[in-house]
Amino acid sequence: MTPPSLSEMIGRIHGLPVMPAVALEVLDSMAGADTDIKDLARRITQDQAIAARVLRVANSPLYGLQMRVASIHDAIVVLGFSAVRSLVLAAAIVTSLPAGRCPGFNQERFWRHVLGTAVAAQALAKPLKRSPEPLFIAGLLHDIGRLVMVALYPEHYTRVLDQVGEQDCCLRDAEQTVFGFDHAAVGAALAGRWNFPADIVDALAWHHEPERGTPDGMAAVIHYADAISQALDLDGAENGQMPRLHQKTIDGLGLDWQKLTEVLADTEARFNSYQLMLG
Amino acid sequence: MNDSQLQPLDATLPGTVLAAPVTDANGAVLLPAGLALTEAHLDSLRRRGIENLTVVLAIDAEELARRREKLRLRIMHLFRHTAEDPGSQALLHAILAFREGQMK
Repeated sequence: MTPPSLSEMIGRIHGLPVMPAVALEVLDSMAGADTDIKDLARRITQDQAIAARVLRVANSPLYGLQMRVASIHDAIVVLGFSAVRSLVLAAAIVTSLPAGRCPGFNQERFWRHVLGTAVAAQALAKPLKRSPEPLFIAGLLHDIGRLVMVALYPEHYTRVLDQVGEQDCCLRDAEQTVFGFDHAAVGAALAGRWNFPADIVDALAWHHEPERGTPDGMAAVIHYADAISQALDLDGAENGQMPRLHQKTIDGLGLDWQKLTEVLADTEARFNSYQLMLG
Repeated sequence: MNDSQLQPLDATLPGTVLAAPVTDANGAVLLPAGLALTEAHLDSLRRRGIENLTVVLAIDAEELARRREKLRLRIMHLFRHTAEDPGSQALLHAILAFREGQMK
């Protein structure tokens, strides 16, 4: 069973389910494209599966609303467009990108880890004085390459999972052994092909090697957010393990004890609401 | 740290602490979480037709110590390959302290 090359794999992505048009429009509007908010809200509402998941989170204790919001329009009025479009994007990605059939791959745990990383990145934005929205998106997409590998090459990915089970190594090392490249390379190639903004591509490519990313880019934050999601055990995977952290990068973020503790509490609180999206 | 459980109002004694607010059918809060219920509170809830309450269930010191150790072991399991790495130190110690704080 010869593994595919990276370009062969990327060449097959047309075989994957596409992201809903609404999600791509939300991404465009985040990238600064001229978007008619009312029109986008109307279209989000038409996708009932997405709207229902968004409203579940909007009505959770995280936002502390006095009254229930019953529509996307109300949610935008109360929470703001920016908060709602992050929720919409998360709901769209979770509902539309199935992993296919790969024995041993737990899709729910995958999404729990991804959502955990996205909300940890959001939580890190405050002490780092960064904009939360791009960090949230980068967190949401950081492991998208893994999903592509699983969906397109389930048999090869089963070997990856078997190797992790037998050797207790990290997924990334096993991906390298079986495929010759890892999910970060696949994610970055895919994001480039889908014309995602360059800073997102950079974060996807280098979230495990932040020292190679653009200085002051998002890779360093996603590197830590990924680890925070794992340390809080948000996916609950029995044999989960922490990714290796690059000391210079972590030191460079300059989070003191108190700020880091606040990030942990903030991440967990956000996750408790966001996970309602998966139900 | 304490657990909570849903129990019938009729089985609730004065002095029991609410783990979640009691709300009416419209979602309005009648009594807040953390309140120690008096006989008068219980009467008032009965008159309003409330049937069940989420109350704090105290756990003993031995059980607390057991849970604390289980949580510590779980964290160390997640850090089994990285606990000695310089880059992991801040997060490892912060998560241990954070979980410890939640157990109090």
